[in-house]
Amino acid sequence: MVCIRRATVDDLLAMQACNLMCLPENYQMKYYLYHILSWPQLLYVAEDYNGRIVGYVLAKMDEESNECHGHITSLAVLRTHRKLGLATKLMTAAQAAMEQVYEAEYVSLHVRRSNRAAFHLYTETLGYKIHDVEAKYYADGEDAYDMRKYFKGKQNHQHSHGHHYHHHGGGCCSGDAVETTQAEDAKATTSK
Amino acid sequence: MGASLPPKEANLFKLIVKSYETKQYKKGLKAADAILKKFPSHGETLSMKGLTLNCMDRKTEAYELVRLGVKNDIKSHVCWHVFGLLYRSDREYREAIKCYRNALRIDPENLEILRDLSLLQAQMRDLSGFVETRQQLLTLKPNHRMNWIGFAVSQHLNSNASKAVEILEAFEGTLEDDYPPENELCEHTEMILYKVSLLEEIGAFDKALEELHKKEPKIVDKLSYKELEVSLLSKLGRPAEADKLYRVLLSMNPDNYRYYEGLQKCFGLYSESGQYSSDKIEKLNALYQSLSEQYTRSSAVKRIPLDFLQDESFKEAVAKYIKPLLTKGVPSLFSDLSSLYDHPRKPDILEQVVVEMEHSIRTTGSYPGSDVKEPPSTLLWTLFFLAQHYDKRGQYDVALGKIDEAIAHTPTVIDLYSVKSRIMKHAGDLTAAAALADEARCMDLADRYINSECVKRMLQADQVTLAEKTAVLFTKEGDQINNLHDMQCMWYDLASGDSYFRQGDLGRALKRFLAVEKHYTDISEDQFDFHSYCLRKMTLRSYVDMLKFQDRLHSFPYFHKAAIRAIRCYLKLHDSPKSTAEEDGMSKMAPAQKKKMKKQKKAEERAKKEAESKSEESTASGVSKSGKKNVKPVDPDPHGQKLIQVEEPMAEASKYLRLLQKHSPNSLETHLVSFEVNMRKQKFLLAFQAVKQMLKLDAENPDSHRSLIKFFLKTESTSAPTTEAEKLRWSVLEAERPSISQLQNKSLVEVNEDFLGRHKDSLVHRAAYAEMLYLLDPSKKTEAIKIIEDSTSKVVQTNGAQIEWKLKDCIAVHKLLDTVLLDSEAASRWKSRCAEYFPCSTYFEGKRSSVMPDSVYNSSRKSNENGDTPNHPMGQTELGDGQVMDKSKHSRASPSQPEEAPF
Repeated sequence: MVCIRRATVDDLLAMQACNLMCLPENYQMKYYLYHILSWPQLLYVAEDYNGRIVGYVLAKMDEESNECHGHITSLAVLRTHRKLGLATKLMTAAQAAMEQVYEAEYVSLHVRRSNRAAFHLYTETLGYKIHDVEAKYYADGEDAYDMRKYFKGKQNHQHSHGHHYHHHGGGCCSGDAVETTQAEDAKATTSK
Repeated sequence: MGASLPPKEANLFKLIVKSYETKQYKKGLKAADAILKKFPSHGETLSMKGLTLNCMDRKTEAYELVRLGVKNDIKSHVCWHVFGLLYRSDREYREAIKCYRNALRIDPENLEILRDLSLLQAQMRDLSGFVETRQQLLTLKPNHRMNWIGFAVSQHLNSNASKAVEILEAFEGTLEDDYPPENELCEHTEMILYKVSLLEEIGAFDKALEELHKKEPKIVDKLSYKELEVSLLSKLGRPAEADKLYRVLLSMNPDNYRYYEGLQKCFGLYSESGQYSSDKIEKLNALYQSLSEQYTRSSAVKRIPLDFLQDESFKEAVAKYIKPLLTKGVPSLFSDLSSLYDHPRKPDILEQVVVEMEHSIRTTGSYPGSDVKEPPSTLLWTLFFLAQHYDKRGQYDVALGKIDEAIAHTPTVIDLYSVKSRIMKHAGDLTAAAALADEARCMDLADRYINSECVKRMLQADQVTLAEKTAVLFTKEGDQINNLHDMQCMWYDLASGDSYFRQGDLGRALKRFLAVEKHYTDISEDQFDFHSYCLRKMTLRSYVDMLKFQDRLHSFPYFHKAAIRAIRCYLKLHDSPKSTAEEDGMSKMAPAQKKKMKKQKKAEERAKKEAESKSEESTASGVSKSGKKNVKPVDPDPHGQKLIQVEEPMAEASKYLRLLQKHSPNSLETHLVSFEVNMRKQKFLLAFQAVKQMLKLDAENPDSHRSLIKFFLKTESTSAPTTEAEKLRWSVLEAERPSISQLQNKSLVEVNEDFLGRHKDSLVHRAAYAEMLYLLDPSKKTEAIKIIEDSTSKVVQTNGAQIEWKLKDCIAVHKLLDTVLLDSEAASRWKSRCAEYFPCSTYFEGKRSSVMPDSVYNSSRKSNENGDTPNHPMGQTELGDGQVMDKSKHSRASPSQPEEAPF
C-alpha cells in the first residue's frame, strides 16, 4: 500500500507540503535541507501507490549534548492514511539508523500534552518514557512532554567496542551547524 | 590590512574587523570613526565602515562608503574583498565574483578570498572556474582534507567523475592505515560511499564493488552499503547474488517498493509500462507467491500483483486484498486502488466484487462464501469505498446515495464528510463542498489536515476571506510570526491566487503567483551556505544531489503552475489596457463588493503610507541596540496594485516564459502560453516554434489545433512583406509550411474539417472546430453553434469505450457560446441542457445545486437544523467586513468553475 524508504533531496518539497497540511509547527525549506545535508540517513518518507508523499519523519543528531543521541524533529502522516501503522514504521526506521550509524544512546522528542494519540503511539507502541515536562514549550503556551527512548544493548556496546571517547568527545554528533533561519525549534508532533 | 596606518590606528582597524566578525557593529563603527577623524580618506577603513553599516541595514551609506574606499585605495585587496562581500550580501553574485577577482589580482594567494570565490562559483555553476579555484586552494594548502574533497567535488560537478576518483585516491594515499579516528567514522563512511558512487557513475562497476567490499569494515552506514552493493550486482549481471541481497533488504524493510522493482529486474520481469506477456505474468505471480510466504507482514506483496494479474485471477486476488482492509476500516483503501481505474476492464470487476460484498454483508452479515460475522463497521467502509468508486466513474448520484447511507450509519466518522465534500466538488457544487468540509473541520478543531482541506474547498468556492480566517486558526500562535507565507505554503498561494483570478482581481492574483516564484528563488538561495558546510560534513552524495535538485528546481509542479498562471494574468492585463481594467472590474461587481473594494483601497493607501513612514524612520533614527532591526519590513504593495500597473505586461510574462521553456519543455501549456505571448508581441517566428512544439507533444489536442489555425490565419492574412525582416520571416514560414503534416496543400478551412472528421465524438474537439469555423468565416456562426449543440452527452465508441461529457468542458463550451460566439440564446439553451445533465452544478444552476431551494445541500442543512448533526457553526457565509450574505446569492454573483482536482 505504502512504500517506506529513505528520503532523497527530491522528496523535500513534498515533505514540506505534507508538514504544512498536517502540523502547526512548520519549517522553511532550508531547515529540511539542513537535515538531509547533515544526517541523510535519518529522513524517511511514506509514499503511497500513486507516488504521493503521505508521511515523513525528519530527525537529527543532537550536536551539543555530551551523550550522543538522536532527536525527532518532526513526524507526520496524512489523516487520510491512518490505520496503516505508517508512523510506527517511519519512527522505527529512523531510530534504527540513529542506533546503527551514529551509535546513539537514546532518542528524544517533544509532544504536546494534549496530543493523546501521539502520546499513546510513543509510550505504548514505541516504548518512549516521559523524561521531563517543558512548560509552555509551544508557541500557543501548551506544555510539552520531553520523551526519551533508550536503545537496548547500549551498555554492552560501550564496553565491547570501547567507544567511550566517541560518546563523550562529541564524535559524529559534533559538527558545525549551518546557521539556519530557524533556531532550535524542533517539535515533534503527530497527526492523530 | 590597515598597514599604512600608525600603530594606534592599526590596532583600531583590527578592532573593526574583530567587531564585524563578532557582530558588535556599534563598537566597530566607533573604532572606524576614530580612525577616520585622523585619516578621513583611508580606503580600507571606509570600506570596513561601509560593510559594518551594511549589517545595520543602512544600505545606501554602505555602498557609498565601500565605493569610496575602493576609489581611495584601488590597490588594496581588502577594499575589493569588502566590495565583493557587500555584493554577495545582496545576492549580486556576478558583481561579487568580479570584485574577488580584482582582489586576487593584487593578492593571488589569499586563501580567504579564494575560498569565498569558490563558493560563489559553485553557486553560479561557473564550474570550470570552480575547478580552477579549488585546484589553487589545494596547491596552496594540501594538508587540509577539505581542499582535497573540494577539488574532487569540483571535478565531479564539471563532468569529470574519473578525475574526481583519482583525486580521492591521492587523498587516501596520504592517510594512515588506522584512519579514521573514532569521531570521524561517519564522515569517512560518506567519503567512501561517495567514491563508490562515482565509480558507479563512470560505469566501473567491478572496481566499485571491489572498493565497497574492501572498505566494508570502515562503513558504518550498513543500509547504504547494501543498497549500493545490490545496485552494483544487478548492473554487473549477477542476478543470483542480487536476488539474495534483495531478500536480505526486504527482511529489514518489506515495505520498500524499490526492492521489489529491483528484484523483478533481476529476473528480467520488469517493464516500465506495466505491460507483460501471459508467460511473464505467470512467472511474476509465482515470484510474488513465494515472496508472500517469506514476508507475511508485507502488504506490498499482495498489492503489486493486482497491477499485472488479469480478469479471473485479478478478481480473486483483489477480493482477497480488499476484505481484511474493509474489516479493519482502512480509509485510504480506495486511493490505494485508484490507479487500477486506468485499466479498461478492472473498474468493472472492482465494482462487481465490492457490490457483491455489500449485498452479502447486508443480507448475511458476512463476506460472500464466508460464515464469519463481520463487525457493523465493515458495511460502513464498504459504502465508503463504493461512494468513492462511483465518484471516480462520474456517477455522482449513486456516490451521494452511498455516502449518505454511510453517514446515516455512523454520523461521527469525519472521513465520510470529507469524501462527500469531494463528491460535491466533482458534481459541481463548490459551495456545498466547502460547507461540508467545514462541517468535517468542526468535528475536530485540533486537526490541521481537515482544516487545510476545508480552506482549500473554501478557496475553490471563492470564499477567500473566510478561507483566510479559517487558515490562520493554525498559523497565528502567540506572538510567533509563523504565517503561511513565511512558511512557504505554496498550495495556499496558488489556490487563493486562482480564486482572485476567477474573481477578476488580477493584482491580488499576481501577488500570490509571484509569491510562489519568490519561494523558489529563496530555496535556490538556500543552497549558498551548504557549499562549505557539506565539504566539512562530508555529506557529498547528498550535496551533489542537492545541487542537481536545485538545477531543476523550477521544473517542480508548484513553480510550473504559478508561472503559467502569472503569465495568464499578464495576458489579461495586456488585453485590457490599464485605464479601463479597473473600471471593468468594478462595473462587473455587485454593489456590496464594490464597497468592499473601496474599503480595501483605503486600507492599501494607509498601509503604503505606513510603510513609507517606517522606512523613513529606519534611515533617520538608525537602528535598535542589537544593531539589527527585528521589525519585518511592511509590504508596500499588499494587494498587488503596483503589479498590475506594469508598463509592459508581455515583457514581464517573457521572464517566466523563459523559465518554463527551460524547465518544463514537455508541458503543452508551456508552449500554449508561449504562443499567446509571442503572438501579442508580434514575434511570429517564436509563436511558430510554439505551435510546432504543441503539435509535436500532442497534435490532436484542441489547443494545438486552435493555435495552428490562428497562427496561419494571422500570418497569411497580413499583407505582402515589405521590410527585410518581414521578408525573411515570410521565407522561413514558406520553407517550414510543408513540414506541418496537418497542412500539406490544404486550406485552413479544410484543415479544420479534417480535424472534426477525426474527433466527431468529442465535445472539446467539436467546440474547437466550431470556434475556428467562426474565426475563419464569421458568417458560419449558425453552423458553428449547430455543431456544438449536436453533441451528445454520452458516446459509446466502436471499441466499447465510453466518452462522456465532463463538467469542466461543458462550462468552457458555455463560455465559448456566450463570449466568443456571442449568442446568448444558444448559451442559455446550453445552460439548461447542462443543468439537466449536471443537476448539482451551481454554475448551470442545476436543480439539486445549492443555488436552488431544494438542493442536496439545502435539504441536508434542513436536517441539521432538526438536530441530526451537531457542530455546524457556519450556517452562513460571512464576508470580510462582517456583512452576511445569503449563500445562493453569493454563488450566483460569482459562478465558480471547477478546476483539476488536487485531492
